[in-house]
Amino acid sequence: MNIRVRIACMTLAVVLVGGLGGAPVAAAPGETISLAFLAGYKEDVLRANIAKFEQASGIHVQIDASPYDDLYKKTLLSLSTSANRYDVLFMDEPWVPALADFLAPLDDITKQMDLADFVPSTVAAGRYRGKLYALPVDPNVQLFIYRKDVFQERGLKVPDTWDDVLHDAQALNDPSKSVAGIVTTAGSDQQTGLYMLLLIWSYGGDVLDKNDRPSAETPEARRGAGEFVQLLKYAPPSVQSYSFADVNKAVQLGKAVMAIQWASGARPMEDKANSTVAGKLGYAVMPKGPAGRDPMRGVWTIGIAAKTSHKDAASKFVQWITGKEFGTAAALYPATSSAIHSPRVSVLQDPKVDAALPYAPALLANLRIARSRTRVPQWPDIQEALRQAAAKISTGAISVPDGLKELDASLGRIMAK
Amino acid sequence: MERYARGGLPWLAPGIAFLLLIDLFPLAYAVVISLYSWWLVRPSDTRLVGLGNYAGLVTDPQLAHDTAVSAVFMAGAVSLELVAGLFLAVVFARRARIFDLVRPVILLPLFITPVVSGTMWRLMFHPDLGIVNYYLRRIGIAGPPWLSDPGLAMVALVLLDAWRTIPFMFLVLHAGIVSQPHEFFEAAMVDGAGSWQTFWHITLPLLRYIMVVAVLIRAMDAFREFDIFYVVTSGGPGTATETIQMLNYRIFGFGRVGLASALSTLTLVLVAAMSLALLRLLGRERTA
Repeated sequence: MNIRVRIACMTLAVVLVGGLGGAPVAAAPGETISLAFLAGYKEDVLRANIAKFEQASGIHVQIDASPYDDLYKKTLLSLSTSANRYDVLFMDEPWVPALADFLAPLDDITKQMDLADFVPSTVAAGRYRGKLYALPVDPNVQLFIYRKDVFQERGLKVPDTWDDVLHDAQALNDPSKSVAGIVTTAGSDQQTGLYMLLLIWSYGGDVLDKNDRPSAETPEARRGAGEFVQLLKYAPPSVQSYSFADVNKAVQLGKAVMAIQWASGARPMEDKANSTVAGKLGYAVMPKGPAGRDPMRGVWTIGIAAKTSHKDAASKFVQWITGKEFGTAAALYPATSSAIHSPRVSVLQDPKVDAALPYAPALLANLRIARSRTRVPQWPDIQEALRQAAAKISTGAISVPDGLKELDASLGRIMAK
Repeated sequence: MERYARGGLPWLAPGIAFLLLIDLFPLAYAVVISLYSWWLVRPSDTRLVGLGNYAGLVTDPQLAHDTAVSAVFMAGAVSLELVAGLFLAVVFARRARIFDLVRPVILLPLFITPVVSGTMWRLMFHPDLGIVNYYLRRIGIAGPPWLSDPGLAMVALVLLDAWRTIPFMFLVLHAGIVSQPHEFFEAAMVDGAGSWQTFWHITLPLLRYIMVVAVLIRAMDAFREFDIFYVVTSGGPGTATETIQMLNYRIFGFGRVGLASALSTLTLVLVAAMSLALLRLLGRERTA
């Protein structure tokens, strides 16, 4: 063999061995990583703090922020095709099972982290089939919100069960004053399906059984969905067009006494400039049903693309964004529409954070008992079927039994694809 | 003539090649993809399923529902736009100085992007905070729940689309009316025809060809409308305003590339069939 060819072969072998099996290469100063992130209320918190990471590490983070629906599409396209556009990905936890095949396991990174400081259920959000593919950044969970002043005035206790909620909603509902007993999303919005699922869980039902077979057509699911419809009787008259933001508006304007809302929506309610009820709200653990108390978990997580060529820089970024310093800065970020809450117990129990976020204790309490949606790759499709069924049920376009029957058929088609 | 045509072919070739590349190749590729079961989550499981995606779609009641919603919206919006656009075009055909000043104002909605106008109208129709119900309350009428009632939500969307695109109809029809030959109108005047008779027997027949073209363009657009549905109702309440385009958006969003391509192809066939029907009507008018 020609000497030049031999040298070329040896060089190629060294490059391949080094690249495939060698130790990770340290992040080079001036290196750029690309991050897929959620646009809007979480993005501004990140942008306000990212300079600290960039100055300390010398790594530039290119943020590509997209709205919720587009973020999943862009992430999926980038990971599953040769586009390979992103090194680091900000993901809603139900996406993790669908994207796990394209993500780098993070178990090695966590060896350098104090995982004990994280709320355990938030770490579970990034786990799939025994491996950790993502770490928690923003632990979202559904909260039960009520007007402390109205409850005190009426001598009512904080509801402990869904029947208590229904009873209080009926008692407090006053259409003549345009005040509803309760408000929640009931429009053509994915949240509607998730709130109906919350009630279904509390009554012992679910959309898939333990073997991931459709199970929406059970007496427990019917009772839970039925209770959801009953609650809507004491909601604002146009609740069937309410989205996430409309629920916030109703609470802020004092047009609802109770609400079910994600923790990420709570901060604007405490904005004194825009909320007539700031400081008057109480936050509690989710009421229970016959089968228990099941606030839904919705943790925003961070993962690294398996195909990235900037693994070390991406790892450093993941450690920073899940760290205590960023978590505290994000929780204390002086904005009324933004919310990134840390998954760390030490941050959520920090007196400064508790003073800034009156709902932090309830957030932590709900997170500790939070339940995850079924961990299957088909979950985004399932959530869409759930949205359609819940939206139809909430408008009365279809009865609860028929809606769940239709949902069950849709789930069958999705799981068979 | 034939020699000229042959001689011009090399000059046309780059343009034809460009069109093939940007139009026909993606279209053909989408049709090929539609024959595969391709889920981005499991790219290694991609397999040929023939017409399986199409069979799945046509047996799905959701597609029939969403197609009907798209058709109802198209019929409602385009009818309203045609009538209102024609009325404005006739009124503005009269020569008056004030019209020259008002005309640009009428055209303004045409320049606002659908997402912005959708957001504006969503707020306007808000039951508690919206300006529509506010003024209705001021005159003693309880404002209806515009976006939470299935029928009213569609009415609201038709009104919004009409507001956005009446200027287009007006512009096209106005151009048609002002370019009509004066001789016909002078003859009608001499024969003692009134305004209504002149409009019905001269203006309208002369305008019919332009009207069909305008309706064709608007009908295709309305059937494929997505933005305002997404922003104003997201398909709700329930699934009352969920259109075929929203269904496609969601299917593609879940990474079901084969299925989404099949639905795109079906939509293309539907729009093409509708356009052909209108063109045939146009052809009849021209030969009549």
